[in-house]
This record gives sequence, structure tokens and C-alpha cells, in this order.
Amino acid sequence: MTALEISGLAKEYVDSYSGDRVTAIGEVTFTVEEGEFVSILGPSGCGKTTVLNIIAGFVEQTAGTVKVGGRVVDGPGPDRGVVFQNHALFPWKTAAFGLRMKGIPAARRREIALEHLELVGLAGFENRYPHELSGGMRQRLGVARVLANEPAVMLMDEPFASIDAQTRRKLQEDLTRVFELRRPTVFFVTHDIDEAVFLSDRVVVLSRRPSRVREIVTVDLPRPRDWQGTTALPEFREIANHITALLSEGGDREGPELTAA
Amino acid sequence: MVAPTDGALDRAATRTPRRRLAVWLRRVTRTGAVRTLGPFVPIVVLWWLAAELEVFPAAFFVGPDAVLTEFLDLMRKGVLPGYLSDSLTRLAYGIGFGLLIGLPMGFLVAMSAWARRLTWPLLLFFQAIADIAWLPIVIVWFGFSLTAVTFVIVYTIVFPLVLAVVSGVEQVPQELVRAARSLGAGRFRVFVEVIVPGALPAVAGGIRTGLGYGWRALIAAEIIVGTSGVGFMMFDARRVGDVSEVFLGMIVLGVLWYAMDALVLAPFERATVERWGMVRQVEAGR
Repeated sequence: MTALEISGLAKEYVDSYSGDRVTAIGEVTFTVEEGEFVSILGPSGCGKTTVLNIIAGFVEQTAGTVKVGGRVVDGPGPDRGVVFQNHALFPWKTAAFGLRMKGIPAARRREIALEHLELVGLAGFENRYPHELSGGMRQRLGVARVLANEPAVMLMDEPFASIDAQTRRKLQEDLTRVFELRRPTVFFVTHDIDEAVFLSDRVVVLSRRPSRVREIVTVDLPRPRDWQGTTALPEFREIANHITALLSEGGDREGPELTAA
Repeated sequence: MVAPTDGALDRAATRTPRRRLAVWLRRVTRTGAVRTLGPFVPIVVLWWLAAELEVFPAAFFVGPDAVLTEFLDLMRKGVLPGYLSDSLTRLAYGIGFGLLIGLPMGFLVAMSAWARRLTWPLLLFFQAIADIAWLPIVIVWFGFSLTAVTFVIVYTIVFPLVLAVVSGVEQVPQELVRAARSLGAGRFRVFVEVIVPGALPAVAGGIRTGLGYGWRALIAAEIIVGTSGVGFMMFDARRVGDVSEVFLGMIVLGVLWYAMDALVLAPFERATVERWGMVRQVEAGR
């Protein structure tokens, strides 16, 4: 079943400094099936994060629709959980906030929270405030917070971009493990080709602005995946090289990065 | 520095007199009283020296001993406790109403675009009329009463508080609001669970500034409206030329503010914004 359906998405905005109308997203259409891991890749400034923000309901699109479970959505909601690049944890909270919003009783809330902390490898840290956790741990917590809330889609906005390389590898592997265990539906924004290929079932490749879908690449690599084994597969390199080519090609053809109309 | 265990310290202490002195110093400076009072020791010594050496004529500048005698005398007569309780009652009323008005008003102005458009010019205009500048008209309206003093204190507290709340709300990261919304929180929930705690560091700062202003306004009002209170005591003492009472009044003001900070404001901040890692810990000694 289709969990997330994006059709004809476009975003124009007026540059508040120059007053020009800028087309950030030209026309983006793709779907994410239930239990599927889909990443979106594109040259920098192509509006990947804008696509995510529109899906999350933080930003309004100029044209097109976002459907979650067949229903058109408008504004943010608990059916679309977001893992932010800068974790966006509440400095003053240790408890499972989203669960309280759902009206789940306290005892059950605690149970769910502990279960998900264990899932992401944070068992025993339930009484810590965010500033007492490391960058990697905060991002794990961000994932736990969303999964515990059982959204229809988990939206991840470059969650590992500001984390050191070693920790990032570990987080990518753990995310894959959690995904293979739970099979949530994930939409993942990144600019790291290897990361996209390693994690995803399919990769949506965008062109430069005004961005369109250049190609949706299917990643047919066996699961369970681990970094060493999976990245050593010849198919892995093949797919990664294909995406690299797509991205540089897109850059040559589209000309200037900003297209003002 | 890694602190050695007490046993290790004791063993070290038996070695040389100098070590023993160092250990003693470390023990003593670790206690709260020394940390609080320590910085005042050189000032009091300088003060005492200046008085003893008669740098200024004794009629204008009295030493710590004279002030202490005055303090004991006024305490025995019950004058100081009476004035103190008058001042503190006024301050409590002023602060109470000030917070009651300032906090909701601040959040209203911060959250609602039209409330901001409507009130912002007014806020800036009335902020410019200094607290004491209201006294003439306030005395005409309310006479030399508690109401008059309370009005002035409330007035001084409200403005810095409103401005602090507005800037506090503006500082709440957009991502936190978004995160709460996509976890299913409605507008009211976002306000209670995200905006209010997120604005707290700035609000706490605003309360601190507001109370400081209110405290000063109280003394100024007592000097002018003056029928009782610490401010009145100081000004009245000046009239009769009792310098030691003026000095005493100044010291009482400092001590009271310090007590308010140490007993109310600092513990509140320790339990909230410092615990949450939103501000650096104010200082090691607190």
C-alpha cells in the first residue's frame, strides 16, 4: 500500500531581499510504499529539505498535493514524525511528550518510552536531559521519539549531517537495523550518496533548481545490510556511481543555479 | 583539579605547617558563608581604616562600629523591624501585582500579532516616563498611601518584564515548535509545553531586572512619599544629620537584595534553566 504520495509538488517564493520570484521546486512527483525506505538526493540548494518541510506541513506548497495513507494533509500532524538535523529535542523534557499528546496513560507511556530507548540503544538514559547526551545520542533519541509515536511516515532531515564520521557510520548501521526490525515507512533527506544507497530501498534524485525528479533509482541490495559487507558489493558501487553521474549531469544541463522568473 | 579524599588531606596536613595552612584554607573557603562574606572583608577593612584615620570628617563618614551600634539600637527600639516590614510589604504587593500583570501581558504581546501592533508604540512611550516621574500625579490621585507606592513599583516592573518575555518568545527555536506540532500538539499545548519553558531564560532575566528596578523604585518612592520604610528612614536620618543611620539604611538595602537573590531567584534558575542546560551555570559559588 502507498503510505506517502507526492504529486506535482511545486514551490515558488519571493526573495525578500531582491523581490524576485524564485522557483525552488519545479515539479516533484513520487511515492513511498508502506514499510519502504526512500531517500531524496540532489545538488545543494535544490530544495530537498523544502520537500520534507512541505510533507511535514511546516511550509505551504505553491502547487501539488501531499497524501498520507490516501488522505490529503495540510499542516503538521502526528501521522508524520520528523527527525530534525539539529535533533530539536526539548531541553526541559525527559519524558515521552508525543505519547502524552496522544492521551496515552502515564504507566503505558513509560513502558513505550523505555522500549523505544532500548531499541535505539539508549537504555538507562531515560532520566537524562538532552544537554547531558552526546550528539549521536541526541539523534538516537530523536529517532526514538518519532518511532514511539508510531507515525504513518518518519521524515528524516539530514539527521546525521552534523555528526562526526565514526559516529555517523554507527548511527547509519543502527538505523538500518531498527528499520529492518520494525519496517517503518521512512522518507530520508541527505546529500551523502553512499548514505542514501546504503539505507534506502529507492533513491529519488532531483535536478538543480527549479528541481524536478531526474530519476528514481531502485536499490536492490540484500538485507540485512552492514556497512562493510554492503558497501563492498559491486552492485553498491555501481548504483552509487550511477547516482553520482546523474547528479553531475544535472548540474551541467540546468545552467545557473538560481532561476528567477 | 582532582580533589583528594579527606583521609589523604589529613595525612598531607601532618607533614608541614605550610601544607596544614593550605588545607585549612581550602576547607574554610569551601563553606558557603566564607564564599558569600569573603569578598566583603577587604571593603569593610578599607571602610574601617578610612573612618579610623579620619580621611573624611567624622560627622560625614562613620565607621563600621558606629553603624553596628546604630543597628543594635534601632533593632532594640523596634524601629528598624517596623520600617523593614513596611518596605517589604510594599515590595511584595508591587512585585505580586507586577508579575500578575507583566507576565500575561508579555506573552499576549509576544504571541499575538495584532496585540503587538496595538501595544508596541504604547509600550515604548510609557516605558520612557520614568517611574518616579509618575509620583507627583500618583500622590495627587492616591495620597501618601500603599496604593501610590505599589503603583510605582508595578509600573517599573511591568515594562522590562514585557520586553523580556517578548524577546524570550522570539528566541524559542522554530524547530522546537515544529517538532511539537508534528508530535501532535495543538496551539495551546505548544504554548504551555514549548513556548513558555523555551522563553524561560529570558523571562527569568526579565524578572531579575524587573525586581531590581522595583526595589529601587520602592526606595525612591519612600524617600518622596515617605511616611515609613527603609527609604524614609535614610532620608529622615539625613535631615537630622544622623550619618550612621544613612549608612545602615544603605547596608540593609544591599543585604536584602542579596537575600532575595540567594533565596528566591537563584534557586529558581538552578531548578529550571540551569538544570536544562539552557544557560551556563551562573557561577561556581552559587
